[in-house]
Amino acid sequence: MMERPDRKRVTSWVVINTVVVLYAMIPVLWIASLSFKDPSTFTDGSFIPRKWTLDNYAGIFENDDFVRGLVNSIGIGLISTFVAIVFGTMAAYAIARLTFPGKRLLIGVSLLIAMFPQISLVSPLFQIERALGLFNTWPGLILPYITFALPLTIYTLSAFFREIPWELEKAAKMDGATPFQAFWQVIVPLAAPGMVTTAILAFIFCWNDFLFAISLTSSNAARTAPATISFFTGSTQFEDPTGSISAAAVVITIPIVIFVLFFQRRIVAGLTSGAVKG
Amino acid sequence: MRRATTRGRRAAALLLGAVALLPAACGSGGDEGVPLVNLYNAPQENLEAIVARCNDLAAGRYRILLNTLPRDADGQREQLVRRLAAADPGLDVLGLDVTWTAELAEAGWIREWTGDHAAQAREGTLAKPLETAVWQGKLYAAPYNTNVQLLWYRSDLVPSPPRTWNEMMAVAAELAARGKPHYGEVTGAQYEGLVVWFNSLVASAGGQILNTGGTQVALGPPALKALDVMRAYATSKAADPSLPNTQEDAARLAMEGGRAAFEVNWPFVYASMAANKPDMLPVFKWAPYPGIDGAGASPLGGGNFAVSTYSEHPEESFQAALCLRDPASQLTAAVKDGLPPTIESVYKDPAMAEPYPMRDAILDALKTAAPRPKTPTYQNVSTMISAALSPPAEIDSPVTLAELREQISAALQSKGVLP
Amino acid sequence: MTTPAPATRRALTEGQRSERRLGLWLCAPAALIMVLVTGWPIVYSVLLSLQRYDLRFPDDRAWVGLSNYAVVLTNEFWWSAFWVTLVITVISVSIELVLGMLLALAMYRAIVGRGLVRTVVLIPYGIVTVAAAYGWKYAWTPGTGWLAAMLPEGTAPLTDRVSAIAIIILAEVWKTTPFMALLLMAGMAVVPEELLRAASMDGATRWQGFAHVLLPLMKPAILVALLFRTLDAFRIFDNIYVLTNGSQNTASVSITAYHNLIGGLNLGIGNTMSVLILISVAIIAVVFIVGFGTAAPGSGR
Repeated sequence: MMERPDRKRVTSWVVINTVVVLYAMIPVLWIASLSFKDPSTFTDGSFIPRKWTLDNYAGIFENDDFVRGLVNSIGIGLISTFVAIVFGTMAAYAIARLTFPGKRLLIGVSLLIAMFPQISLVSPLFQIERALGLFNTWPGLILPYITFALPLTIYTLSAFFREIPWELEKAAKMDGATPFQAFWQVIVPLAAPGMVTTAILAFIFCWNDFLFAISLTSSNAARTAPATISFFTGSTQFEDPTGSISAAAVVITIPIVIFVLFFQRRIVAGLTSGAVKG
Repeated sequence: MRRATTRGRRAAALLLGAVALLPAACGSGGDEGVPLVNLYNAPQENLEAIVARCNDLAAGRYRILLNTLPRDADGQREQLVRRLAAADPGLDVLGLDVTWTAELAEAGWIREWTGDHAAQAREGTLAKPLETAVWQGKLYAAPYNTNVQLLWYRSDLVPSPPRTWNEMMAVAAELAARGKPHYGEVTGAQYEGLVVWFNSLVASAGGQILNTGGTQVALGPPALKALDVMRAYATSKAADPSLPNTQEDAARLAMEGGRAAFEVNWPFVYASMAANKPDMLPVFKWAPYPGIDGAGASPLGGGNFAVSTYSEHPEESFQAALCLRDPASQLTAAVKDGLPPTIESVYKDPAMAEPYPMRDAILDALKTAAPRPKTPTYQNVSTMISAALSPPAEIDSPVTLAELREQISAALQSKGVLP
Repeated sequence: MTTPAPATRRALTEGQRSERRLGLWLCAPAALIMVLVTGWPIVYSVLLSLQRYDLRFPDDRAWVGLSNYAVVLTNEFWWSAFWVTLVITVISVSIELVLGMLLALAMYRAIVGRGLVRTVVLIPYGIVTVAAAYGWKYAWTPGTGWLAAMLPEGTAPLTDRVSAIAIIILAEVWKTTPFMALLLMAGMAVVPEELLRAASMDGATRWQGFAHVLLPLMKPAILVALLFRTLDAFRIFDNIYVLTNGSQNTASVSITAYHNLIGGLNLGIGNTMSVLILISVAIIAVVFIVGFGTAAPGSGR
């Protein structure tokens, strides 16, 4: 930037970058390697498979529970994200643009929830959902997911909304646009990137959850993929489900890798904006 | 900016589309007409064959679907219990560890066996295994397999097997003096195996951990004696240095590896020895479980089949459970998977002779075997005991006993805390 | 904030009134859900913690006052879990702060491959904790793992308390350092470049520039990052569940509460622990906000 990068500095940065890449990737590559290992070579302790196979992947996709788990994860994650984004957008707009009593309170409450220990909610919800018939259903997981995704969406979105040049809306109205047109054609395109970012962060949160998923479900009717993996059993008493668990772990990591590759800038912006501007 | 926006819109549209599609993906299948009986059991290699035979015999009256639970007992129990707590109708026949009967029966999650079904479950079934399926005088399960520990020893090192724990220590000391392998393996790690050991010692000394109704702590002088023996053993020449970490499998491996002169363990060690160390098999002998003054009371294990309260096909489930534990099924489980039968007549089958040369010893041990305490809070009681007794070398008998009494009675009043 | 300054206190114009109404309406759904899903369960949790309520003895349900609290607070398993949680929290957050600072500098200052670095660090952040935890578990399992293969024959690090806790901390640090780094990087971004340049012109070394200029200005960001991560580490569950499930006394408070609730079906004791965890988290937050003067994010400046 300010100084021209000389050779030595470039080299040292290449070294630093390599260290960072190794740090981030080695554990991921290890589980991928396990997932490609032939079961007869699980116990060789080698980092790179000596005998490659796709059987572990074939196996988990023949496993109804895992496929159901994926469907549950995707469905529950998308619905929770969608609702959280809709309600979060409304609240964030109000926080960023309007003056009204209780604004501070809302910010405070969502901060509290962001820091809330989930286990403290699991215990009463286990009993409440059993009584209401929500236990082991999609809504039974969607409700807590929305609740924990909301603080995140409110924070990130209100930070984004403060950046939007709202004068443009006024200018459009002066040019003869209706309020709806002004909103839809001017504001929405400006707000959409922030909403996509926020949606990704909220989805990652839902996709990642484990505690609610194992505590508030009992069968594959609502159990999400991470919980399903933890219940894998080997086909016999003497066989460890190492291969299936590794393959499934890789499968549920793929969406994350895709998000990261395509939306790296947005995710970084989303994670940092809420923290600084909040 | 432009590109990002369209991408954003497309993503939002995708999101909406996926949400709209989802409910269509939920639905349940099943054969029309034939009631489906969901069996939940611990992993067992040849259970699939047993299920297939029963499905053939049922000829369309029901169809059993085998669902495998995790390998560890705690994991199995947790899965079952959580679904039962949610009144899940997807469970029909449940494979239970012998120690869970009271808990599930008391919570109202498994059905009582009555009338014809009960009569069939009782018929020809050995008394001790049957007793594990009873709570408050009512039958709640049909015994599937049983298990007893025996004393296994190397006849090249120990010509005549010790009959008591004191004799074991003396034999070990004598072997040690001669520089021979002298360890006597026992499950001393902090887990259920330690409770099993303690329970058998208390029973061998003529006592019990809980009173017969399971409502009060019994313990008392026999427990004191049991604790003295455990401590003495853990500090004797017989104790493997890894005793505080030894579970069944480590005990088996120590024996097969030639480190140990004897072990107390379940009969699966015989098949394992035959497979791994055939040349040691001729000197690998068995004897009754050691006692304190006289004969010992062997630990009692095994599994039973119960029918869930929330099953929508109870009649078919009872029938399926009976088939899964009938003599032919038990024979398969015994010969192929090493699970000792609960029906006495199965032991006389010629196919039993080769894999179970010790079958008379098992039957003898079953007459005096010590069942573990019956209480709905067995989980807590067992956790307390294993925590209080670990490591066995640090037992201080009167202090440990007082601690045990206090903690077990807390557990009985729902004041037990699990780690 | 960019909100219009209130002109006068007493006279609300029609426009202001309708703005208030709109604001409340827009916030209502979010507020309602958050309060319904957390508020009522917390109250209910407190009520359950005052009862003997054990699904294994459904007939013996009764009010018992504070006796569950007495049971839990005098129980060695609870205190073991509490100290384990505290140790994991303090050690992992300390390591993360140092590593996260280095990572943040690398991401912020990189002159080549900045995009690459920022992309790869998001992988630990985004990966499902359970998936990563299985990776660590297998890596340390003797016979299977490449890390275990480097250890002397016969060591099983996950079966020993100290080494198991070390592995739990490793898994936690690996996964959450990128988040810490991103928060710290955001803090770096608000420090004006000119200040650092001025310092270096005054003859300050790189280290002095970092320690005397950058760090003090980053203090609010550091405190917020520490607060977030401390509270997050205190509720650690997933990694321990997969790696040891609490055996060898490695349970955290969340794991112990889970075992008593789902494993033990003891709703009274389980909810007592939940309430105690909530209180602990509140104490930590208060210590940060009052003791260190952490500006709570969103409190406005």
